[in-house]
Amino acid sequence: MTAGASDRLLGAYVAGIVVFLALPVIIVVPSAFSAHSSLAFPPNGFSLKWFANVFSSPAFTEAFLLSVSLALLSSGISAIVGTMAAIALVRHRPPGHDALLGLFLAPLIFPAIVLAAALSMVLGSLGLLRTFAGLVIAHVLVTLPYMIRTVFGTLSEIDVALEEAAYTLGANRWRTFRRVTLPLLRPGLLAGVTFSMIISFDEFTISLFLVGPGLRTLPLEIYNYTDANIDPTIAAISTLLIVVTLVGIIIIERLVGLGKQFA
Amino acid sequence: MADVAASPNGPAMSGPPAGLRDNRRALVAAGLLAPGIVVLLVALVAPFLMMLATSIQDRFPDPTGVTLDHYAAVVSDPYLVAIMVRTFLLAVVVTVLTAILGYPAAWFLARTPSRWKHVVFLGIISPLLVSVVVRTIGWTIILGNEGLVNNALAALGITAEPLRLMDSFWSVTLGLVHVLLPFMILSIASVLGKIDPAFAEAAFTLGANPVRAFTKVVLPLSIQGIATGSVIVFCLTIGSYITPIWLGRGFVTVLAIAIYDQMVTLVDWPTGAAMSMIVTAGTLAILAAYGLLTRRFALR
Repeated sequence: MTAGASDRLLGAYVAGIVVFLALPVIIVVPSAFSAHSSLAFPPNGFSLKWFANVFSSPAFTEAFLLSVSLALLSSGISAIVGTMAAIALVRHRPPGHDALLGLFLAPLIFPAIVLAAALSMVLGSLGLLRTFAGLVIAHVLVTLPYMIRTVFGTLSEIDVALEEAAYTLGANRWRTFRRVTLPLLRPGLLAGVTFSMIISFDEFTISLFLVGPGLRTLPLEIYNYTDANIDPTIAAISTLLIVVTLVGIIIIERLVGLGKQFA
Repeated sequence: MADVAASPNGPAMSGPPAGLRDNRRALVAAGLLAPGIVVLLVALVAPFLMMLATSIQDRFPDPTGVTLDHYAAVVSDPYLVAIMVRTFLLAVVVTVLTAILGYPAAWFLARTPSRWKHVVFLGIISPLLVSVVVRTIGWTIILGNEGLVNNALAALGITAEPLRLMDSFWSVTLGLVHVLLPFMILSIASVLGKIDPAFAEAAFTLGANPVRAFTKVVLPLSIQGIATGSVIVFCLTIGSYITPIWLGRGFVTVLAIAIYDQMVTLVDWPTGAAMSMIVTAGTLAILAAYGLLTRRFALR
């Protein structure tokens, strides 16, 4: 096979992989506009009633508001805690910092179901099960690795000499941080917050153990809804979630490039 | 998972004399780390210890002694053993499939001079950020009785009755491969990107054919990426709940579903905790094996 032919073959294969990855996401959108009540593809007819159904449902509205406030609060806390930890790990290199970094990143890989069950035990004994505070604690834990990773990466690229220069010129640590480090850190920090908010907003397994009647995050409310009905309402709400995610992706891409989050 | 690049530690900032400065630096570092450590203690370490304690207490919630009975009960229950075997098999199948499917795509990302590279990159990462709930709904629309595949087959006159594509080991496998493939691709691509293309060229020059150059030179050098990706995919499969329950709809019980049922439905926390500890031990064993493996390769 010539080099040109094998390149084309590889190109076609990769296009196939991208389609495979995108298909289950894209296919949801047309199904949301179906006039018929079954979740079929191709959809039958055209209607906006499923979107109306989403917006007129108090359960979905409440779940949406809960998820948004949870995402905002846990990402905010995560940003502060994560930035402090990342600065300590990168600039101070405390003893055992590799182990610490490993612990901070552990929730990324640790079986979510185990983490969920274990967390529900501790939160239960603290009287925080099925409370907003309990959810915030759990979501700070899950978003912290993403926050630390982004800030860690951005911080590693900032030249220490800049901070030293400010310090030598008489600025104290706090002033150095405020005037030098923080502005340089801003894109990474904002990307980390956006990323954390998406993670918190999508989180399912851990919240599953911590929610209850009257306190359900949006993914769990959608799941709960499908217990009784499978109709295009869930496609409509999924379409709204896809739009929200796209906005998040564009923000991250503009700030630091999405690749930085994973590379 | 991304390697967080270690940064070279800058020279200590100039300031007070060395001894005093070191003390202050240590204090500042401790202060900066404190909130993060509190989060880890409350939300990771304490839950883990509590789970461990629950799994060995003889009575729940008021223990009178320590016992290993719950572990014995789990490993001697054929139903639970079957679930563990199924979950393990699922993880192996998903890991192998993502590695095979992902390698060429990773190769493309790492090596292509194509102007499409960035678009492909976004195309591979973006689905990761869309809620798993949305993606499983998407698979329902594709695989359901009135879904894309069945409607297409019926329209082409290939099938009269819709095929039952959901609720099977393979629909769960498909869903998990979809969710986890990007992790594998990114892990392999990050290692392939660091391999000097000159190595493969040298093999060509010395007379190796493309297959031999690949299997003898490039593949061994990229093992690290496959290993990292495999560990991530394997661990995330073992812990997965939403995909098996949604695409399996009660027909494919995996460990996560069994743990949830044991704890929440049956309210049998000690047995659920013992199952969780077994999963944890398995995960830690895999991570340790991975650590040893990468060290061996690094030493070569």
